[in-house]
Amino acid sequence: MSLDNILTNWSRYRKGAEEGGFHEYEHQWGMVVDLNKCIGCNACSVACYAENNLPVVGEKRCGKNQAMNWLRIERYWDEPDIEPYKAIPTANVDVWIEGNPPAKKTDLKPSMPSSYLPGLLEQGGQSFEERVGFDGTKSEFQDFGASFLPMMCQQCHAATCEPVCPVAATYHTPDGLNAQVYNRCIGSRYCSNNCPYRLRYFNFWSYYEDAWPEPLHMQLNPDLSVRDKGVMEKCTFCVQRIRVAKDMAKMENRKVMDGEFATACVQTCPTGALVFGDMQNPESQVSKLWSYHQVERGKTKQSKQNKELRGYRILEGLNTDPSVLYLERVREV
Amino acid sequence: MSGNDINRRDFLKILGWSGVGVAVAGCDRPTTVTLEEGKEEVVAYLQPEEYVIPGVGVWFASTCQQCPAGCGVHGRVREGRVLKMEGNPESPINKGKLCQMGQAGVQGHYNPDRLKKPMLRKGGALAEVSWEEALALLEQKTGSSSGLAGDRFAWFTGTVSGHQSVLLSAHLAAMGSKNHFIHETINNAVVRAVNQDMLGEAMPRYDLPAAKMILSFGADLVGAGASPVHFAGEYAKFRTGSPRGVLVQVEPKMTLTGGSADLWVAVRPGTEGVLALGIANQALAGDEVRVAGLPENIRTLITGYNVEKVAGITGVTGDRIMRIAKLLKERSPSLVLAGASVEGHAHGYQSAAAIMLLNMVLGNVGKTILPSGSSAFPQMEAKAGGTRDLLALADAADKKALDVVFFHGANPVYTAPAALGLADKLKNIPFKVVFAVHPDETAMSADLVLPILSAHEDWGTHMGLYQPEQKSISIQQPLMERLYPDTKGFGDLLLALLKARQVKEYEPFADYYGYLKNAFAALPASVKGDAVSAEDFWGKSLQKGVVNVGTVAGSLNPKMVEISFPEFKGDAQDYYLVPSARLGLWDGRHANLPWLQEAPDQISKVVWTSWVEMHPATAAKLGVKEGDFVKVTSAQGAVEAQVYVYKGIHPQVIAVPMGQGHEEYGRYAKGRGVNPLKILAPVIDAKTGELALYGTRVTVAQSGRREVLVKLMGNETQLGRKMVGTVTASVFDRTEGTKNVT
Repeated sequence: MSLDNILTNWSRYRKGAEEGGFHEYEHQWGMVVDLNKCIGCNACSVACYAENNLPVVGEKRCGKNQAMNWLRIERYWDEPDIEPYKAIPTANVDVWIEGNPPAKKTDLKPSMPSSYLPGLLEQGGQSFEERVGFDGTKSEFQDFGASFLPMMCQQCHAATCEPVCPVAATYHTPDGLNAQVYNRCIGSRYCSNNCPYRLRYFNFWSYYEDAWPEPLHMQLNPDLSVRDKGVMEKCTFCVQRIRVAKDMAKMENRKVMDGEFATACVQTCPTGALVFGDMQNPESQVSKLWSYHQVERGKTKQSKQNKELRGYRILEGLNTDPSVLYLERVREV
Repeated sequence: MSGNDINRRDFLKILGWSGVGVAVAGCDRPTTVTLEEGKEEVVAYLQPEEYVIPGVGVWFASTCQQCPAGCGVHGRVREGRVLKMEGNPESPINKGKLCQMGQAGVQGHYNPDRLKKPMLRKGGALAEVSWEEALALLEQKTGSSSGLAGDRFAWFTGTVSGHQSVLLSAHLAAMGSKNHFIHETINNAVVRAVNQDMLGEAMPRYDLPAAKMILSFGADLVGAGASPVHFAGEYAKFRTGSPRGVLVQVEPKMTLTGGSADLWVAVRPGTEGVLALGIANQALAGDEVRVAGLPENIRTLITGYNVEKVAGITGVTGDRIMRIAKLLKERSPSLVLAGASVEGHAHGYQSAAAIMLLNMVLGNVGKTILPSGSSAFPQMEAKAGGTRDLLALADAADKKALDVVFFHGANPVYTAPAALGLADKLKNIPFKVVFAVHPDETAMSADLVLPILSAHEDWGTHMGLYQPEQKSISIQQPLMERLYPDTKGFGDLLLALLKARQVKEYEPFADYYGYLKNAFAALPASVKGDAVSAEDFWGKSLQKGVVNVGTVAGSLNPKMVEISFPEFKGDAQDYYLVPSARLGLWDGRHANLPWLQEAPDQISKVVWTSWVEMHPATAAKLGVKEGDFVKVTSAQGAVEAQVYVYKGIHPQVIAVPMGQGHEEYGRYAKGRGVNPLKILAPVIDAKTGELALYGTRVTVAQSGRREVLVKLMGNETQLGRKMVGTVTASVFDRTEGTKNVT
């Protein structure tokens, strides 16, 4: 996106979907991640390595945060969804649910909706360190297990990475994807600097030199390139698979069908926690899930009728309008 | 591309190799097409080889060989190369899904450190030899004229099933030997023994979706268990039922399954059986009729464990015990499972039996624990292994009772604790032959190493270790031509061995492919479905990858066994060592796959190395924090690794994951991390003779060294933001519950 573009179209772009500006989509690929089903097993991540020619960088480079895991699973030990209520029973829930953590706990305003997490609220008063199990026993253990969170590029519709690229190497496709044009990328890394999810990965080295010693290179997927030093890359929603499906549909003179193909992570997920599809197709599984959970794309502020529904987007308050809907994990409390 | 091409492509998308199978199995022709014979450098796609459409991937069905679960896979083949594995939707085991180990199977196949030529130990070192020389030596040492017969010959393998198992048994019979050692470090041998004694079936079927609650004592259902992908799918059904199933996990160190628990309970290692009896006691409290109906000895046993006593022994608070018992009563039928942390003690059998007893008390047998029955082909079913056979091998070698041992699919030199002295004892076996794909520790200490085809190059049939309701035989077919001309199929070698012993039955078969094809033709009509001919059935089977076979109905005959526990003393100053199993590196067999080395451990998120897990209280006591090196010392040795501190572990426990610490096994595995199996004490489960993996006590001391522990993750905590939201189960039942959302 050039400077001209940014100046003239920024506002339109930023609120595109909401104001009916940028709407000539062919598809809008979206995803749903059900954290009630996710077991954090890593199958999706390795499937991504296999599909997308991700280099293995080795221990030293992993230690420098240079691993190229387009899809990673975060594992958190705490549960702020539960905690702040207890620490400060008058927390302004809406504020931090939408991604803006309060600067100071004392800044919080007493406007918490009482319908939210009633079971948890009743416990009241303990910090994470003093967590209690659902039986009310005080414990110094990880009573509620872990919190797993698969994180792939959220394919934001108001992507913070896009407008900062000085050479328009990252742009928005008519499929609703954040695309990365490797040939255009000059490695300024502005985009990764601007990604709030830390989901862009930079080729600090020519990984191909040692990532695929013969004959490991024979496994490389010929449908996409092997990236060289100085190029930014990230999850593409397996754009090569999308390409094939669209071509097939076009040749057969039909529309791409829901479930006809899936991204590598979705296809392998042992629990079916990941769902992929076209959100422009109201009959698709993803569309149904998004609408069931009353989360809408292109909205600066969600108006959920039923606050108990599990759907949310990560750091929603940043207004990046991601294409990935997360369904809250469930615990017997 | 014209419309016709598309139809052709669709037709080819999932296809068996039947047409080209013979060529694949029988000759080493390169896949590239030559314009003129003899000019292999001239490669053109003007006339592509049959089944090769340039630029189009074709999917072939096969079977994953990364663990004994036997998942069906589809391998994507393009221009003669296998690129990607996916689950085969036809398989009743994994239903189209695949775990990370299955995904990484291709890296075992394309591994840069594969064995490429036979090797023979000459003057102390292994040197490459020709197959002629290797086979001649094999004939000389084990053939009909060798004089070798009886139990001085043995096979030492991992879990085997299908026609390989049939041929292997035939070979043992031809040799006149009964010695088939089957070794798996990650096993459920003790639980199987308990099931056999108490239910009459070693591996009953668990109906997860029917259970309203699962109480798991260290059973890593969705992780390092009998069938990870299958149970992950079942877990999802269990979690989305109405009411949503509750998972309570009781274990010394958080497993992958424990990470998803509604309530995770740390328990003092080895006291799980006592806890089960305490819960049974609570569950029965007030139910005089049920109590009176119990046999006298069982009643005495259960009522002997009141809450105070159990809380004292297990370290689990009384409130919690009563709450779990209450939940189990409310949520019937439930399912109570025992896993590795229960099995791995000198009284492992007793604990597992107490846990099965709890199932009986709760009335789960027949509701969530169902008879599995057997398939119509019992000789093909998976032969499960354990560690008892590892001990038996060490013992037999020590007694100089073996002359020749064939190894396949197991790496005992790596997995055997140093206390067994296996490496030294193996020197008593004059001729050790290893059939292997990779240069593991056992191969590198063998007398003769025979390089075999990788799982993606070879033929085979398999039956998964855990069979769901629909029993099936899964077919393994080559996904590409062999990479190295001097490697041979394992089945082909088995046939050659049988022929060398003049077993007439096998003489008509030129190779294993021919044998398999013939065996399929001989299958009963009931299995063949609508196939019109043997050839048709073979083609359809290869295309589908799975042959569903009939089930011989079984029944469970619940029976009580005597249960007694040793005296539990208070905690000593030292710690319990937990050599934890990972879905990933498994028992160390996947340490040579770079994807799995770089895939973080699901719980600690550590990559590429070993680490020592401990509780914050333990770390504070030792004065260490994350990244500090500590030395973990048992009476049998010591390992040194960096500390990872978290609250998912009992304060009296030190966990060191299995998988690393290889002395051989190629560039990705060798010299990386430590192997906790090496420092295990030789504690044996008294009843089954299995090695008690969790029965070792260790001391821990700071090494004084410190480095950043390399983890692939962002933060340990969410820093107050809503990254992972949580709702209560009651909210979930209210908003979704039985509703079909999509």
